[in-house]
Amino acid sequence: MPKLTIDNIAINVPEGTTVLNAARSIGIDIPSMCYLEGCSNHPTCMVCMVRNNNNQQMLPSCATVATEGMNLASDDAEVFEARKEAIELLLSDHVGDCEAPCRVACPAYMDIPKMNRFIADGNFDEALKIVKEEIALPGILGHICSAPCEKVCRRKDVDQAVSICLLKRISADEESTIYLPEKKNASGKKVAVIGSGPAGLSAAYHLVKDGHACEVFEKENRLGGSLFDSLEKGELPENILTKEIEILTQFGVIFHTNKNIDKGNWEQIKSSFNAVILSTGSGLENVEDLDLKSTKTGLRVDRDTFATDQAGIFATGSVIRTQKMAVKAVAMGKETAWSVDEFLRNGEGKGTKRVFNSRFGTLRKEELSEYLKESVTGDRVQAKSVKGFTKEEAMQEAARCLHCDCRKLDNCKLRVCADIHNADRRRFSFGERNNAVKYFNHESIVYEPEKCIKCGLCIEITRKYKEETGLTNIGRGFTVKVAVPFNQDINKALTVAAKECAVACPTGALSLRSN
Amino acid sequence: MEKMIDFVDEVLAEIGKEPDMVIPILQAIQGKYNYLPELALKRVCETTAITEAQITGISTFYSQFRHQPVGKHIIRVCVGTACHVKGAKQVFDGFRRELGLEKGVDTDSQKLFTLEEVACLGCCTLAPVVQIDDVTYGHVETGKVAEIIEDFKNLAPSEEKIVREVTEEGISQGEIRIGLGSCCIASGSSGVKEELEKTLANNKIKVDVKQVGCVGICNQVPMMEIQKNGEEAVIYTKINSNEVGEIIEKHFRSKNWIDRFKNRFYNYAENLTFSDIPKISNRYNPQEENTPIAEFLKGQINIATEYRGEIMPSDFEEYKEKNGFVAFQKCLNEFTADEIISEIEKSGLKGRGGAGFPSAIKWKMVQNAKSDQKYIICNGDEGDPGAFMDRMLLESYPFRIIEGILIGAYAVGATEGRLYIRAEYPLAVKRIREGLKICKEKGLLGKNILGSDFSFDLKIFEGAGAFVCGEETALIASIEGKRGIPQLRPPYPAEKGLWNKPTLINNTETFSLIPYIIRNGAEAFSKIGTEKSKGTKVFALAGKINRGGLIEVPMGITIKQIVEEIGGGIANGKQFKAVQIGGPSGGCIPASMSDTAIDFDSLKEVGAMMGSGGLIVLDESDCMVDIAHYFLSFTQEESCGRCTFCRIGTQRMLEILEKIKTGKGKLSDLDLLEKLAINTKKGSICGLGKTAPNPVLSTLKYFRHEYEAHIKGECPSGKCEELIRYEINDNCTGCTKCAQRCPVDAIEAKPYELHKVDNELCIKCDICKQICPVDAVEIK
Repeated sequence: MPKLTIDNIAINVPEGTTVLNAARSIGIDIPSMCYLEGCSNHPTCMVCMVRNNNNQQMLPSCATVATEGMNLASDDAEVFEARKEAIELLLSDHVGDCEAPCRVACPAYMDIPKMNRFIADGNFDEALKIVKEEIALPGILGHICSAPCEKVCRRKDVDQAVSICLLKRISADEESTIYLPEKKNASGKKVAVIGSGPAGLSAAYHLVKDGHACEVFEKENRLGGSLFDSLEKGELPENILTKEIEILTQFGVIFHTNKNIDKGNWEQIKSSFNAVILSTGSGLENVEDLDLKSTKTGLRVDRDTFATDQAGIFATGSVIRTQKMAVKAVAMGKETAWSVDEFLRNGEGKGTKRVFNSRFGTLRKEELSEYLKESVTGDRVQAKSVKGFTKEEAMQEAARCLHCDCRKLDNCKLRVCADIHNADRRRFSFGERNNAVKYFNHESIVYEPEKCIKCGLCIEITRKYKEETGLTNIGRGFTVKVAVPFNQDINKALTVAAKECAVACPTGALSLRSN
Repeated sequence: MEKMIDFVDEVLAEIGKEPDMVIPILQAIQGKYNYLPELALKRVCETTAITEAQITGISTFYSQFRHQPVGKHIIRVCVGTACHVKGAKQVFDGFRRELGLEKGVDTDSQKLFTLEEVACLGCCTLAPVVQIDDVTYGHVETGKVAEIIEDFKNLAPSEEKIVREVTEEGISQGEIRIGLGSCCIASGSSGVKEELEKTLANNKIKVDVKQVGCVGICNQVPMMEIQKNGEEAVIYTKINSNEVGEIIEKHFRSKNWIDRFKNRFYNYAENLTFSDIPKISNRYNPQEENTPIAEFLKGQINIATEYRGEIMPSDFEEYKEKNGFVAFQKCLNEFTADEIISEIEKSGLKGRGGAGFPSAIKWKMVQNAKSDQKYIICNGDEGDPGAFMDRMLLESYPFRIIEGILIGAYAVGATEGRLYIRAEYPLAVKRIREGLKICKEKGLLGKNILGSDFSFDLKIFEGAGAFVCGEETALIASIEGKRGIPQLRPPYPAEKGLWNKPTLINNTETFSLIPYIIRNGAEAFSKIGTEKSKGTKVFALAGKINRGGLIEVPMGITIKQIVEEIGGGIANGKQFKAVQIGGPSGGCIPASMSDTAIDFDSLKEVGAMMGSGGLIVLDESDCMVDIAHYFLSFTQEESCGRCTFCRIGTQRMLEILEKIKTGKGKLSDLDLLEKLAINTKKGSICGLGKTAPNPVLSTLKYFRHEYEAHIKGECPSGKCEELIRYEINDNCTGCTKCAQRCPVDAIEAKPYELHKVDNELCIKCDICKQICPVDAVEIK
């Protein structure tokens, strides 16, 4: 039983234990990408490096066997920087986006390609679930969203952008039974939301979803706040507004109309709720009595957490700064709710940080045709009715999506590691990048070789599964590729081991179609 | 098609069908077709256990293998270090232009020539070197490319050179020795030898003509040493074959009197007309001091190169006469394995492969390893551009190396061995093959060697072109029929090596030192050198030096002594700038530090490395950014591609250097470069990646000002194409030679008027500068 020290913690481990597993056994989580239990684990990615303090050498912990007297460091600045640089190098040779440009452009960060895939399959209920992960008011936004997503849609470089906004609308319209997402366990905490405009409604939805009780106070006799402007302009049908508020009520939001909050009842509100969100819309007339500080544009809050100077009081939407885009207000309401949730659980609000996102920029002409492989030709479908798409029209339109997102969004090790290390994707990208390539012809996987980090796991797995053709390394050095021998089809390479390879692949080079 | 299948089947029947035979199988197929036809590869997979994945992985890993048909002849432009600093890139571009090759194409439209770069032909003293099939051209100038192609086309298809023996009766009047190492042959030695034999036969002169191995004095080849009975030897250097007759007749009297008369006449005439025997050749007495040869040889100690220039490589009897196999017999009859290893330990011998690991420790590890089977490997996969020590040792002293391996095998208990030799060294393979055959016949290899109970078998494994296979674990993978990917150590090969059995693996030079140590005792070796680095080291001395060649010097000798005393200083009156030691793993040491002693530790301290022993001298016209870029592009190309830092990091470093070389760099790039270099050293598992950044780090350390100058838009040495202009000064006589040879018509030239270069058109091929008779072309 060799005895060793990792980050000054002494442990004994069984003979033959790797440093990686030794560290994990005492709760030190060393990131790794190319490591897979049960494989030969020849180190390649170097993300799991630790330093041997006895000789200052860096070691790949996944393949180094722990020996007596080792003294290792796994989390100091030198180790962190070295790992980060390894990740940045891998990113510089990784042609692929994590998120599609449309989702990145969406203030509410809606997973548009995933919604599109469900709609294209005719699965409108699932599509709505995806939408409602991020957006409390899909029906409303389906009418009044200015759709910044469509402005960056890559389909524009082929013909016209995908009609994302209308697709979102139909996902709400086609709701067969009312979808109420699962709530977290009740926290026993109560939150007051002052104002029932898009920001307030959105905050209320997400608070309830997070397990808190939520009451909305509206000074007018009707709910909706600034949404009434859209109603008056004829952009938003009244029945849609009514329906979505009804859904919120069913979900558990308690609404009070004709309830103005002023100096008189402010202390009472504050003492009856664990937190308050002010979402009273543009102008300070509603809140200037409340002893809160303001700036030129509105109420003063922390930019990340939406917290005001008073503990437990948050503000969101146009009261901070006038929001022209409803979707922006909806997004802010959500992020404020998340911050409040954090405040209720841990005593302090928290800003929403988007996870690391690899972006490689504009598609080249050759790449567009690669992306088109998973799409259909044809111009944008025009809805025949003013109400929007029919189901058939929607399915046809959704199929035009180029699926710019990665199929390993949620379980890509490269993305996770890049996120942990705050990696800069562009630090080493001065070379000419390769063209993105996609293969969709395999029934269960998507194969995107330019995302490969050359860990070799899939090669080993195809060998283990005795694939007749399998995969192999081609060439060496920087230009080495993982590919099918003799330029054969990926279908021939992966006849029995496809799923295992896709699951083992640490990036989106091999991913399951079903993702 | 059927023929091809038959051929493949024959190959498989002969070589075997086991997966570990895949490299020899591919070599045989390529030997026949000059490339690897897919059909042939598929046939191999159909009829053996070799999978499509394996054969594809292997055949695309090793650079020897081609997947496209090639032209009838192959032009290999050597881009080794010595050739690089002497303009190999311009020569390569010259061939591309001459053959009209489009970008991405390497075979001309008539399918006559295929153009390739080759890492190093090991003829560094003849740089720049170009090989067309078996014909080698040295000192190639860009402007002579067309002539070379023409010359090659005019050559009669050569039969294998027949070595004629002198058969006439009569007493030998002496011995003539001709060096026939690769460089010697490349410089025309075999022509000289042929002419010599013809002259001797015609004149009926009885002299022993002896073909010796590499003489080491590569800067003076072709070379011939005449030892007449009872007289002092005389050395002729840089001989032309048409001068042979004169030289011979000067020394030897022929039998019939007319010939004798003729000889006398020649002698007489010579005394009148040649005070300085044939103009191009130089004549020296080896005993005489202050001649270039004496200077070159002075200060050298021959251990690995014992009997240099005297011994015939494949002559077993002669090797035996000169104490050959005495050491091995001593081991067999007098020493126990422990005693042998203890002798090696006392000698202080460290491995000559580069890292300098104490040999005795390795031997002990293998000796102590418990196993039913142990192996021994001689690492002759010398791949450094600018290094040719192993090649010379293998070519010139095959028996010494075999003896060294035998001693090693006996000491550690190995019963089987491999000599891993680069496929680019055909002569070395041939000589070793001959050597092995003879040793088998003489009972030195095989069962019960020399009647003892020690049995040992030794085979050649030809490498297939991968520098990384110089790394021991990658080399082993290669022998096992895998891609040459290094493994994380431990376990070391001494515990788990070839086919997972304990394996002793040493460099060629290390083995060639063993017989001397055993024969003369540890002290004879350990008294040479410094406290921590004992004995001698063989270096390939080349670059901007007066006398390049292969040298064996005591450890501890200073760089200055090598450059000035042995090498005769910098050529062409230029200023000494730096030496590059250790090839792509080593570093540049500036002239100001030339008092640095050559030993493992001092070199490491100054940021260089012994490496396998390339020593390239650089002068003021060499750009250090270019040198760093050159070495890094070599390692980048040779990286196996497994570790992130080595695979992508070296590429990114190279891109930063390219930015700097083309004047697009920023000062912040230097920090980025340095950080990346340091992390690449830390984050690579094998020696290649760990040392690849050394040329960058050492030049950044000692020549940072040159990097900064590039960032400001200036290449102080006038080397980096994007930052220089060609201009013609007032010396111009208006001869128009430059304009006639300019491949892009960039020179405006009226006869007898000052010419002018249009730098917009100029492609910096350097022809004008090389051709100008009055040095009127300048680089600014």
